[in-house]
Amino acid sequence: MARTVDIIKKQRHATGAAKEKLKEYNRMKKAISTALKEGPMTIPQIADKIGEPPDKVLYYLMTMYKFNMVEVDSIDDMDEYYLYRLKQQKNKK
Amino acid sequence: MKMREPKKHYDVLVVGGGIAGQETALNLANLGYKVALVEKDYSIGGKMILLSKVFPTLDCAACITTPKVSETARHPNIDVFTYSEVEGIYKQEKGFRFTLRQKPRYVTEDCTGCQLCEQVCPVVVEDEYQYGLVGRKAIFIPHSIANPRIAAIDIEHCTFCGLCENVCPPKCIDFTQQERVDQVYATAVVLATGYKLFDPTIIRRYGYGKYKNVVTAMQMERQLVPTRPFNNILRPGDGKVPDNIAYVLCTGSRDVTVGNPICSQVCCMYSTKQAQLLMGALPMADVTLYYINIRAFGKGFCEFYQQARAMGVGYVKGKVGRIWEKGNGNLVLRYEDIETGEVAEAEHDLVVLSIGILPNKDYQKLFKNVKVDQDPYSYVKQIDELTSPARTSVDGVFVAGTASGPMDIPDTILSAGAASSETASYLCKVYKEIQPSLS
Ligand SMILES: Cc1cc2nc3c(=O)[nH]c(=O)nc-3n(C[C@H](O)[C@H](O)[C@H](O)COP(=O)(O)OP(=O)(O)OC[C@H]3O[C@@H](n4cnc5c(N)ncnc54)[C@H](O)[C@@H]3O)c2cc1C
Ligand code: SF4
Ligand code: SF4
Repeated sequence: MARTVDIIKKQRHATGAAKEKLKEYNRMKKAISTALKEGPMTIPQIADKIGEPPDKVLYYLMTMYKFNMVEVDSIDDMDEYYLYRLKQQKNKK
Repeated sequence: MKMREPKKHYDVLVVGGGIAGQETALNLANLGYKVALVEKDYSIGGKMILLSKVFPTLDCAACITTPKVSETARHPNIDVFTYSEVEGIYKQEKGFRFTLRQKPRYVTEDCTGCQLCEQVCPVVVEDEYQYGLVGRKAIFIPHSIANPRIAAIDIEHCTFCGLCENVCPPKCIDFTQQERVDQVYATAVVLATGYKLFDPTIIRRYGYGKYKNVVTAMQMERQLVPTRPFNNILRPGDGKVPDNIAYVLCTGSRDVTVGNPICSQVCCMYSTKQAQLLMGALPMADVTLYYINIRAFGKGFCEFYQQARAMGVGYVKGKVGRIWEKGNGNLVLRYEDIETGEVAEAEHDLVVLSIGILPNKDYQKLFKNVKVDQDPYSYVKQIDELTSPARTSVDGVFVAGTASGPMDIPDTILSAGAASSETASYLCKVYKEIQPSLS
């Protein structure tokens, strides 16, 4: 079936802002996922590991949480910071 | 998609679909009048639908709003136009002519709200309904209880990858959608355009935007609802569970230096509400409110305030001058202790700015050949506040809710009640005069 997106693509192109947001999310998603593959971590730990500011890590991590890519593992001994882990992909043996 | 075809003529045009606009529309519709409710956002509900609970009863805001929102959306006498604008309202001898512009959301009404498109969309943008705390996709359902619960595409941030269109089960994504413009008539107009929130970046000494652990009360409202942006209440700087929270009251209210000399009426009470909810959610946390005066004037407000004090919420009569950040993300508040006249400092790990309410001046651009007068603070002027509170300077144009000044939800409902009854009696009068020409 013909897609309407192919029609609009002939008339307009993605804005610079759209391309920028796409790139940034991909980059952060990849960095956070790679870090979490080593095990559950807090936001400051991820930030340290990937060299990004913790507020930015929180923003993208919580976006990944919203879209079911990460979940809460536990909370640290001081009850201050949660540890997050990658969500197990279903059917992935 | 074919957009909703408006009727040629409505009895009333209500501009704004917040709680004031809905209440006005419902009252008038129940009397048998045909109402066009025009909302510029993707869904109706205004700010109230995004709140946690309401003071002083602590009823769940969503539980009160959603039935009203559904009733409005389903009412046979109300045509709701979301993501739409009204322009060029032209006053005629009897009634008004206006342009109704329905903008494309690139998703048709067949959308089931399944959110599969959100899963595959590769672009993340700040979620405006979570006040930027978290991201959303370029295609998105505004929020979990949005009405209509139909996705929309933020075309400025779309890369036209087509992934959403590939997965959408009912095939309701339509990039060929065009805006629809109609000329419509209404006998009367109600302005229910609500308020704007104070932008705290203007007060640079509070560091909002720069210090990530300084948030607004609206961001805290979102953290206090079940569909909150994070897994728990966290400070946005680094995800720490806060345990020593400060509120700075009157941020952007009663402050001539920011151009808003008046009290916002709700900040004392919503801060007191949030403090109580925080103590419930984070039992170990200390919450301190820095205030100039506590205004607890409504029914049950004083008791609500006393209840907060009894729960252990700290109230410091102090004017915060400056905030700065420490290396660990904590914040130091420098304030004048109004009781002793001395300058003091206190450290907190999260600061909430109790931002004020500002006029939404949209109404000033809506009309073509008449001018709706403004009051000294730029709200819609109530020309006869004591005996006819909904009347404006233009005959046939009424005002409801916070479009006429800061007020809480109960007062907004009262104001909408006044607006609907004044509008109804105006319609009766007009129709008596011109019945034959309209029928
Ligand atoms: C942090 C915070 C917490 C609060 N907590 C409480 C509480 O606990 N209890 C309480 O009683 N009150 C509370 N309030 C106050 C409450 O939000 C208001 O009383 C209420 O929302 C006012 O409703 P409204 O319909 O007048 O305005 P709004 O909610 O602002 O609605 C206006 C609507 O009109 C639309 N609109 C604006 N311009 C146009 C236009 N040009 N064309 C079409 N549509 C337009 C807007 O998109 C919006 O949907 C709180 C306020 C804040 C800031
Ligand atoms: S076409 Fe646009 S909205 Fe749809 S998935 Fe791609 S970027 Fe997202
Ligand atoms: S646009 Fe399609 S995929 Fe997205 S929520 Fe609606 S029905 Fe589901």
